Amino acid sequence: MSGQEHDPLSFEIVPTGRSGPDEHGHRRLHPLTPFVQGVRWWPAGIIAGVTLAANFQVHVGTGAILVAIAALIAITLVGTGFAYLSWQRLTFWFDDDGDLRVDSGVLQRNQRRLQLSRLQSVDVLQPLVARMVGLAEVRVEVAGAGDSKVTLQFLTLAEANALRNEVIARSAGVRHDAEEAPETLLAKVDAGDLAISLLLRAETFGLLAITVAVVAITLMTAGPVGLLIVLLGGVPLLDVFAQFSRYYDFTVASSPDGLRLRHGLLQRTRQTVPPGRVQAVGFVQPFLWRKRGWVRVRLNVAGASSHSQGQGDQSYTENVLLPVAPWPVALAIVSHVLPGVDLQAIPLVPAPERSRRRSWIQWRQLAVGWDDNVFLTRSGRIIERWDVVPHARTQSVRVTQGLWERRLGLASVHVDSTPGSVKISGLHRDAAEARRLAQEQADRAATARAGDASVRWIAQQYADAAEIQGGLAATGTSSHVEDPTPAP
Amino acid sequence: MATDIESAFAPPGEDWIRVSPKLATAYRITLSIVTVLVLVGAAALTFIPKFPDWISAVIAAVALVVFVWIWWLVGRRTRSWGYTERSDDLLVTSGILFRRLVIVPYGRMQLVDLKAGPIHRVLGIATVQLHTAAATTDASIPGLVPEVAADLRDRLARRGEQRSAGL
Repeated sequence: MSGQEHDPLSFEIVPTGRSGPDEHGHRRLHPLTPFVQGVRWWPAGIIAGVTLAANFQVHVGTGAILVAIAALIAITLVGTGFAYLSWQRLTFWFDDDGDLRVDSGVLQRNQRRLQLSRLQSVDVLQPLVARMVGLAEVRVEVAGAGDSKVTLQFLTLAEANALRNEVIARSAGVRHDAEEAPETLLAKVDAGDLAISLLLRAETFGLLAITVAVVAITLMTAGPVGLLIVLLGGVPLLDVFAQFSRYYDFTVASSPDGLRLRHGLLQRTRQTVPPGRVQAVGFVQPFLWRKRGWVRVRLNVAGASSHSQGQGDQSYTENVLLPVAPWPVALAIVSHVLPGVDLQAIPLVPAPERSRRRSWIQWRQLAVGWDDNVFLTRSGRIIERWDVVPHARTQSVRVTQGLWERRLGLASVHVDSTPGSVKISGLHRDAAEARRLAQEQADRAATARAGDASVRWIAQQYADAAEIQGGLAATGTSSHVEDPTPAP
Repeated sequence: MATDIESAFAPPGEDWIRVSPKLATAYRITLSIVTVLVLVGAAALTFIPKFPDWISAVIAAVALVVFVWIWWLVGRRTRSWGYTERSDDLLVTSGILFRRLVIVPYGRMQLVDLKAGPIHRVLGIATVQLHTAAATTDASIPGLVPEVAADLRDRLARRGEQRSAGL
């Protein structure tokens, strides 16, 4: 358990000031929160200071250093002050219905109620500064339109883990004081493999080229000062390091409440993916990974938080289930999120040969397949993709046809999933076949929806595990678990 | 082959329910406004001293050609919209250059919107838009007579509630 392990980046000065609930049972965040939030302005302040000093060619002497320190203290004080105001006004508690309530806001009061029966994900994050002092934040997300997530910054790590367990237990309908479910380690990504895999991606070469160009231009035009600024944040290649840092020490463990993912070099993240909440799974294999048989596994989860991309309605999160792993390991882990599905046994139907005139590189790869549980598409010659969506998670089905496809009598069939990096498209099928596939997929989805028990499946697993533990949580299981769609 | 292409977007039962031709009028009003603005802009350019007049002429000519082409296209585009309600799902089709067909199960609908912009309101047409948990669903039916639109919305909402299936 990450909570109990020795963390080399923590000063082990875990603040004990647990603020107990008040007379209404409302709880507060940790009193150190405002200070940690104030300190977060340091990097921005330091970069701004260095930039200013460089531009105005300030002589670096005792005076300048004193001014810099004073400015840093001022930034910390102001940041802490504002953070203190919001810390003071934020309380959270579980209401009588067992839902999580958060009361916050300085100028505008804001009361949130998260219906835990619709829970999508709970993450425990430790940003670097918080991690050093032994604090953690908890992010809870439920299904729903718009902003349906709360971030509780900060609690002690032990409190954060306890809150995570309580939220999951309440959402699964078991007793909330049940002990944390036991877990089994499934996979661990080796740091060397991760580094090599990131370097072998095509993007890396593009970023390297851009970086060389940026550095060269800066050297020629702005001199060493510009170079410093570029190195501090303008280097595209830094994205590779960011990915390495994000997915460092990636472990996947299974437990009755779902798959548990832990990763991060500086910021530690602990995610829980309840199996019934996985909307789609995608495998990606860049060209240079093929020889090693590596693959990356991504997920669509209805509103989970790791790494946001895009904007507005199109924004989604790249949820990585495994940053890099050999095919057999990846398939074994996916079998935990898609129980009862054997992806290798699904017969594939390739696209017709005339599709080469539409997609001359990837046409041989284009294929679709399905069994009783999932719909599968394969595409991509240089970056190979396999995308899988369970019938029960099909949102809608589309057939599209562009001008060139029309000339060739082709059409594409798409199965819509919740926003995310996994897109399920059977490209360039025979037009009549595409329509038939769409119709059949809609029917399969209807059948699967009628018999969908995956929401209860979690509670069932949970109950089973609890019984194994000695009947800790024998009372109240599946009857509490409902997942109603909001009435339109 | 031609029959194949047509069958991909053929109605599942009898014919598609088509939308009101007023939708074409709405598109054409917007098109006219944009064209007039471009022409005014081109005319204004001629008042700039030493600005070659032939550039204005080219802009105006291109605007007029595009105007005629889209005017014609809009008629076909409007006739391409169609929808049909089946027992478990709604089918919507549209498009001439880029054709599409979307099948939305009632059990997956999270929201049904009924909306009408100012031009559409003057002409007496409205749009029914369906939302699922997927952002890519994109199922909207424009150019409906308000009574039909309101009925459709209520019917869809009712079916959505009856068949709602969680996420």
